[in-house]
Amino acid sequence: MVRIGVYICHCGVNIANMVDVGSVARYALGLPHVAFARDYLYLCSEPGQMLIQQDIQSRKLNRIIVAACSPLMHEDTFQRVIAQGGLNPFLFHMVNIREQAAWVHEDKDAVMEKAKDLIRSAVHRVVFHRPIERKWVDIHPEVLVVGGGIAGIHASLTLAKAGKHVYLVEREPTIGGHMAQYDKTFPTLDCAACILTPKMSMVKNHPNISLWTYSDILKVEGFTGNYKVQVRRRPRYVQEDHCTGCRECIRSCTYHEPRFPNEFDLGLSKRKPIYIPFPQAVPQVALIDDKTCIQLKSGRCKQPCVKACGERKAIDFEQKETIENIHVGTVIISTGFKAFDAKRISAYGYGIYPDVYTALEMERMASASGPTGGEIVLRNGQKPKRVGIIHCVGSRDVNANSWCSRVCCLYSLKLAHIIKERTDALVYNFYIDMRTPGRNMEEFHNRLCREGVYFFQGRVSEVSFEDSDTDSGQLVIQAEDNLLGRVLRAEVDMVILAVGMEPSQGTQDIGQSFHINRSKEGFFLERHPKLAPVSTFADGIFLAGCCQGPKDIADTIAQAGAAAAEVLALICSGRMELEPNTAHVVEERCSGCALCIQLCPYGALSFDPERGKAMIEEALCKGCGTCVSTCRSGSIRQSIFGDEEIFSEIEGLFG
Amino acid sequence: MFDEAISLSKLDSKFLLEVNSHRYGRNINACFACGTCSAGCPIHRVYPEYNPRRIIRMVKLGMRTEVLSSKHIWYCSTCQTCKERCPRGVGFFDILMVLKNMAARDGFAPPALIEQARQVRQSGLSVPIQEIWVNKRKELSLRPLQGAWEKAARLMEISQP
Repeated sequence: MVRIGVYICHCGVNIANMVDVGSVARYALGLPHVAFARDYLYLCSEPGQMLIQQDIQSRKLNRIIVAACSPLMHEDTFQRVIAQGGLNPFLFHMVNIREQAAWVHEDKDAVMEKAKDLIRSAVHRVVFHRPIERKWVDIHPEVLVVGGGIAGIHASLTLAKAGKHVYLVEREPTIGGHMAQYDKTFPTLDCAACILTPKMSMVKNHPNISLWTYSDILKVEGFTGNYKVQVRRRPRYVQEDHCTGCRECIRSCTYHEPRFPNEFDLGLSKRKPIYIPFPQAVPQVALIDDKTCIQLKSGRCKQPCVKACGERKAIDFEQKETIENIHVGTVIISTGFKAFDAKRISAYGYGIYPDVYTALEMERMASASGPTGGEIVLRNGQKPKRVGIIHCVGSRDVNANSWCSRVCCLYSLKLAHIIKERTDALVYNFYIDMRTPGRNMEEFHNRLCREGVYFFQGRVSEVSFEDSDTDSGQLVIQAEDNLLGRVLRAEVDMVILAVGMEPSQGTQDIGQSFHINRSKEGFFLERHPKLAPVSTFADGIFLAGCCQGPKDIADTIAQAGAAAAEVLALICSGRMELEPNTAHVVEERCSGCALCIQLCPYGALSFDPERGKAMIEEALCKGCGTCVSTCRSGSIRQSIFGDEEIFSEIEGLFG
Repeated sequence: MFDEAISLSKLDSKFLLEVNSHRYGRNINACFACGTCSAGCPIHRVYPEYNPRRIIRMVKLGMRTEVLSSKHIWYCSTCQTCKERCPRGVGFFDILMVLKNMAARDGFAPPALIEQARQVRQSGLSVPIQEIWVNKRKELSLRPLQGAWEKAARLMEISQP
């Protein structure tokens, strides 16, 4: 026999000044199945909570309704209260007569009627609530980190230090990401490689980290706490544990001179088919590119590399890709960014005029391990006399990307500094706004002003090339000086485009594999931009670094640490609670039409071909209700949001 | 050189709303004065006083009389480089179209333009037919030039903004 207890909260004056709570309580008492009803000043307080608990026992109540504030505020609170009082926490319903009545209407009579309607509706509904047992899944303690840039590196090291085993999967042949390509970092002007490579080494040497480079994610199955991931390890044609990184193979290659564009140097230098991406690459292991190696393409090379390797026998042209299957409980996605393709803004002349560079190409040029050994030179080998740096290329632009990429003003200042340090060139920076937030960043801006860089507030309209009287023509940047109100022609030798950040190649595939959403800009979507910046809507999968949005190295490392902490919190708690309002298939009614299968945004539905029925993996189900409403035969039911509950709620509402 | 300060309360705050309410002025608020329009403008290049970015600024501040009575707003060459390169989708060319119509309604259209409009309305041609062409065309057996003045008049009628 159903016995409902209804509690109306005054919430101080928040509810009570609009609702006659006593009269509402008396009204509730007259509703079917209501055994007891009362009002109280603050139900969420200690005495309020104890009141409910005592009543459950003394009045033998088996359903509780609280009419007060939003369930987002206190549903958890009251569920805990009644659980401690000996009642299943799901034999409870919360009615919001504050945010949905007292706080939003001005007509007191109307508010009263609304409060009564809502409570009556709840009374009809709660009769059909059934006890639900909370379910838990164990969290497997191993972690997968996807992407070996600074974010993935830092997250992996943090987790490894905490004693957890990490698989760090990186698709390039080396870890380090974009940070390895930079010369210096702002605002301290630290050498990027010097601060990064120690961490890269630690990753290689840490016993708790399984570093898998030149590897991709093929398939992801399973659910929070229990992911089964298939990783493809591509063949280097060099055995990692035999190679000592001596580079004799590279020196002896049939190609005496490097012939093919070096990807790490963005095509500014060349490499041979057998190569190590950059001097400090981790792992320090050669790899052979099967598209350019004569032996791999035709089988007809004398293989001087094998001879040079000698007794180590590291080179193996028969090496095949391997598929590894791993079992992890949590995942951190740290797949980084890619630079905006400057060719998309044809007015800036990238790819048309030889001395127009992107900032990333400039980083390689400035780097001591880069194509020019750190010398800033034009294509003809001479030092530039005048350099123009154009901010906001591909950013803050309806014709490209609408967002601000956050780091470009700062790195443009950094590049200006480097050029002034290494050449006698005049440097001109053209910007819309100067954006330098953060610790020591405005001071960095100040420093650059004092170094004599010319700053022009004025967005560049075009970069053109004019033949002058001398042998070579002249690059001309055209912008308006907003402050002077006059158009400027800046005749320069070199143009640097401060390109923005976009989500990296393959973000879409990773998103689909792991069932995580992306924002409309294409970066992975965080659960809440303020309160949960490293969590996703998939429990157990976290984000770190630029894959979530443009940011600098400091914020990237902070996020990586945050993601690692979230992972540790899950692993240490050992288990995760599942959603109580999951859907389940009533098999006898399922016709096997399989319409529901593709609709599940969480991949919880699958089809069992033997029995011809749909099946729901409870651990993946988030209770969104899509399959429930789609099922043509009504064979899918959902806890808490079943037909009985909803229809009775509607009937109760209309009295 | 030493003008007095612009007093914001003396300006016409409705001017911006008026421009904004037109279909082709609806993006004016997005302008953040980057100057790409001015930088690419061929007219501004040779005549610095004509400054698209500054004109939008003046509209936003509410300097109605200065803008609508200015001869500058009639200098546009309609190359549309400003519209093509604007990063905020403002399209100065469109804004200027609205301003020119407002100015014309207030009686500020240049006399030469009015005369030309009258010409088009009457004859359907923007330039009067010259004797030399008539003779040359006869010589070359080309059909005589004709202006479709009814179509021109109708076009002008239906394109009232």
